[in-house]
Amino acid sequence: MFKFHIFFALLIPSALALHSPSGSNDSLPYLWPLPSDFTSGNATLSVDPQLSLAVAGNGGNSAIVKAAFDRYRGIIFKHTSGVSIFEQIWGRRRTFVYDISELKIIVHSDSEELQLGVDESYTLFVSKKDAQSIIGEATIEAPTVYGALRGLETFSQLCTFNYETKDVQIYQAPWYIKDSPRFSYRGLLIDTSRHFLPVDVIKHIIESMSYAKLNVLHWHMVDEESFPLEVPSYPNLWKGAYTKHERYTIEDAYDIVTFAKMRGINVMAEVDVPGHAESWGVGYPDLWPSPSCKEPLDVTKNFTFDLISGILTDLRKIFPFELFHLGGDEVNTDCWETVPHVKQWLVDQNMTTKDAYKYFVLRAQELAISKNWTPVNWEETFVNFPEGLNPSTIVHNWLRGGICPKAVAHGFRCIFSDQGVWYLDHLDVPWDRAYRADPLEGVSDFSQQKLIIGGEACMWGETADASNVQQTIWPRAATAAERLWSKNETVSGNITVSVLPRLSYFRCLLNRRGVEAAPVKNFYARRPPTGPGSCYDQ
Amino acid sequence: MKPRYVPERQSDFGVPRCSSSFVNHFPHHLIVTFCYGFSALCGLISFFSISITISSPFIFSICITMAVHSSAILLLQLFFYFLVASAASRSNEIAGGVRIWPLPASVTHGGHRRLYVAKDFRLNTQGSNFSDASGILQEGFSRLLDVVHAAHVVDANLTRLGSSALLLGIHIVVSSPSDELQYGVDESYTLSVPAPTPGKPAYAYLQARTVYGALHGLQTFSQLCSFNFESRVIEVRKVPWNIIDQPRFSYRGLLIDTSRHYQPLPVIKKVIDSMAYAKLNVLHWHIVDTQSFPLEIPSFPKLWLGAYSKQERYTIADATEIVRYAQRRGVSVLAEVDVPGHALSWGVGYPALWPSKDCKQPLDVSNEFTFKVIDGILSDFSKIFKYRFVHLGGDEVNTTCWTVTPHIRNWLRKQGMKESDAYKYFVLQAQKIALSHGYELVNWEETFNDFGSELSRKTVVHNWLGTGVAPEVVAAGLRCIVSNQDSWYLDHIDTSWEQFYTNEPLKNITDPQHQKLVIGGEVCMWGENIDGSNIEQTIWPRAAAAAERLWTPYDNLAKDPNQVFARLTHFRCLLNQRGINAAPVSGLGRSAPWGPGSCYVQ
Repeated sequence: MFKFHIFFALLIPSALALHSPSGSNDSLPYLWPLPSDFTSGNATLSVDPQLSLAVAGNGGNSAIVKAAFDRYRGIIFKHTSGVSIFEQIWGRRRTFVYDISELKIIVHSDSEELQLGVDESYTLFVSKKDAQSIIGEATIEAPTVYGALRGLETFSQLCTFNYETKDVQIYQAPWYIKDSPRFSYRGLLIDTSRHFLPVDVIKHIIESMSYAKLNVLHWHMVDEESFPLEVPSYPNLWKGAYTKHERYTIEDAYDIVTFAKMRGINVMAEVDVPGHAESWGVGYPDLWPSPSCKEPLDVTKNFTFDLISGILTDLRKIFPFELFHLGGDEVNTDCWETVPHVKQWLVDQNMTTKDAYKYFVLRAQELAISKNWTPVNWEETFVNFPEGLNPSTIVHNWLRGGICPKAVAHGFRCIFSDQGVWYLDHLDVPWDRAYRADPLEGVSDFSQQKLIIGGEACMWGETADASNVQQTIWPRAATAAERLWSKNETVSGNITVSVLPRLSYFRCLLNRRGVEAAPVKNFYARRPPTGPGSCYDQ
Repeated sequence: MKPRYVPERQSDFGVPRCSSSFVNHFPHHLIVTFCYGFSALCGLISFFSISITISSPFIFSICITMAVHSSAILLLQLFFYFLVASAASRSNEIAGGVRIWPLPASVTHGGHRRLYVAKDFRLNTQGSNFSDASGILQEGFSRLLDVVHAAHVVDANLTRLGSSALLLGIHIVVSSPSDELQYGVDESYTLSVPAPTPGKPAYAYLQARTVYGALHGLQTFSQLCSFNFESRVIEVRKVPWNIIDQPRFSYRGLLIDTSRHYQPLPVIKKVIDSMAYAKLNVLHWHIVDTQSFPLEIPSFPKLWLGAYSKQERYTIADATEIVRYAQRRGVSVLAEVDVPGHALSWGVGYPALWPSKDCKQPLDVSNEFTFKVIDGILSDFSKIFKYRFVHLGGDEVNTTCWTVTPHIRNWLRKQGMKESDAYKYFVLQAQKIALSHGYELVNWEETFNDFGSELSRKTVVHNWLGTGVAPEVVAAGLRCIVSNQDSWYLDHIDTSWEQFYTNEPLKNITDPQHQKLVIGGEVCMWGENIDGSNIEQTIWPRAAAAAERLWTPYDNLAKDPNQVFARLTHFRCLLNQRGINAAPVSGLGRSAPWGPGSCYVQ
């Protein structure tokens, strides 16, 4: 059998300096996104592989906290897991006590409700045990379990495996971190209509979102190309799926929502009407204006709105998030003009096609509001009929910059997703352009700034499937994540010096956690590394 | 074995072409309109893919309509139509509608009857000689449950379905008590799933000589399972099944390269998981090379100073964990130290290994210390890597540094050696050291090409350069692994899956005694342009095409790869379901999907 102790004897002289990769400092445990306030020292602390959890506060016993602690233990100690005999011998031979053997998590609220604006703030304190101090070791304190999750993520990023001593260490201790997000809505869109994404892949995406402290998965479920979701009230709808294998049951959707909630992530469902809905008619051809002109949905029929109402009723049972996305973008009304019965109806109602578009969107909004949902709509709805929209509407920008300033001037709330910077399917947007984007650009009034609830990176699925979706999302979605979490000042100065090394580090961290984040420095997204080299340099 | 330069394809901006997914969802006239305007080439491509993926006559009639419209290319298209249609019918004879990848040696199945997998699906090992003290079989069974449940939430009311249609569990009987995983281990198994019998609870029955055969049987069983969207259960359709299976070759490898890019531990583990799905059984770990030395070597603790950075390293515990993880999935790990040519990074920690500070490769042949270090490495290896073989490289040795560095030039003169003699001397010395640690040897083919007759008889020659060397190797009485770069180098992203599928290891070898010396083949994932972000999609699905070539009996292999397109696509989508980022099958290596569409046609 393999004699481990020989190796330990030999390893002692190996406390040897490796040259650090250019542009990064090995000893600095980079944090992404950067916390809003922190101080650090110059001590190095060791972390016990048997790290235990102590909880306190009204919410301390939450299953969400316990499950998260177990997840992060797996992440932090992945180099020391699975070789128990090694660990045993190691432990026996070791004489000193670990500096950090317990993580204390204090959660004040026992509510696990996850809604827009839930308090995600936390403080994290890491220091050596001290006879004078009653607070020692590592402590996370947060008003809610979701703040505690964010604190756990930060704690995991402080932990680094030391290859010489073979244990996990925290450098630059003591750490005092006081952190809270700049925006309450920090989203990522996935598109399961252009390509079906298996449930496992969606969960993997959600897991990776939590590493970057993103908190809303915008699930663009259906579109022209396919209708993969089961809708019990209208069971023919998912006949619009690509194949019978490429579908989500109601239970699958619920499973995804639950999985996300355990990670502090809301799922916002989207049903994009009336424009992006051709696949609906595979199961219900009446929804098409005619068999030869299939989009937008037939505005004339009550059946169309009954069906939307049915979808919304079914989805309400699965998606507890208060926001629901009704789409409303890119509506080409040609079919309404060319199909006789629709054309006649327009004449009868004395409507132009533009009026009918507005009528459709507003009627869908009413249905959503009646089911206790806050409607989100793409910006075209606001651009075309700002006066008609329900005041509770959240305008989702995408086409161009400058929309959010106008929307908030009208009193609407707004989500920033300018396609020139935050559309991940635009492969020619390098990391620095995405990073420089600011959702508050052009809004100086403080009360108006508050109406911009955040932003979202959009991973449209035309050329992204299970094989490449993660490498297209990451690392650029991380740039949006930091802009949405950290103070605006992180963007100041020369970001190639001040931000890039930290982003590279985070990208490698994602790789080390099994997330297929692409090289940062390539101009085009999801390109392979240009040649051999360190992850931290590419 | 360094890859030649292959320019990256600009696949991210692919132009949509007429596809069969459109055919699925669009009515006749739309397809015709859509296809009509396309060039002759596009017409051919679209026509081709429709024909092989959609077998209904209804669709064919659409395509003929389409062809009539494009009268200029009508004849060509009809020619392809008949070619492909006849291929498709042959395909049915071979695979018989079976979706298993790689195709087993023998499969029979029933028609429309099915069994539902019980909620508490059980493992029964009664009558087995294998005690499973270390839990390999139990773990394999748990993984089976995980992968078949990965795709959807199973939420069934099974009582409604009736007990006679229930599959209660799997009964596994293993005849060998040993769990040793070694070259040539018996990987055969037989698997049967009965038809429902009223009043009699059904069990699948899996029989194998070794636990590793049983693991393959479980992989096959997992591929028989599918989710039923109506009843929300896992079901096995087309029962009864009777499968008799064993691999054609005992060495079915995949190379990974952790020197050009460091691959994090979870990434390597996921690669091993995916290998097991395709019944590959050797992970060839090209650990170190010119660029970096990521592995801890306790005997020479400065060697891993040659790593890219502190964080891009493997401890001995990591390596042990990789071997353990692989072994529990029936995968052996073949470790490689590539000497003397690909070893520049060694000298970061021990500069004495370089001929000089200005000329760093190959390793200094004149210095006894060089062979001490190799001895130390192989000594440490022998405690971790228990596979019968160790890979000593020996390829692409440019001896210029030996002739320009004075002290080596003098040494050569004193020994009366030319550089080519020194190269041979080095390789044979390394072989002796490896033999002294109980290893048999693998060397890249240059060693055979240059001094084959002097290699140890325990050498396996690893082909990579061209297709011609295997017949010569086996004629010389040595064993051979086939990896010709024109077909089985995964980093050649312009090599299509069809080329991977049709590459025959026994090409031009007819003597059965010679054939036995080809122990198998390996696909190589060189790491110049591969890191944690894209390794899986570059490996899959093309490695799967080779995996079938290496597993399935020759007579069961499709002569025309298009016959297996639908089945391979199915396997690729299965990999996606299991979280493996296998790229679209159509298109070359790791291409993005060209546009919206079903996984099953892309």
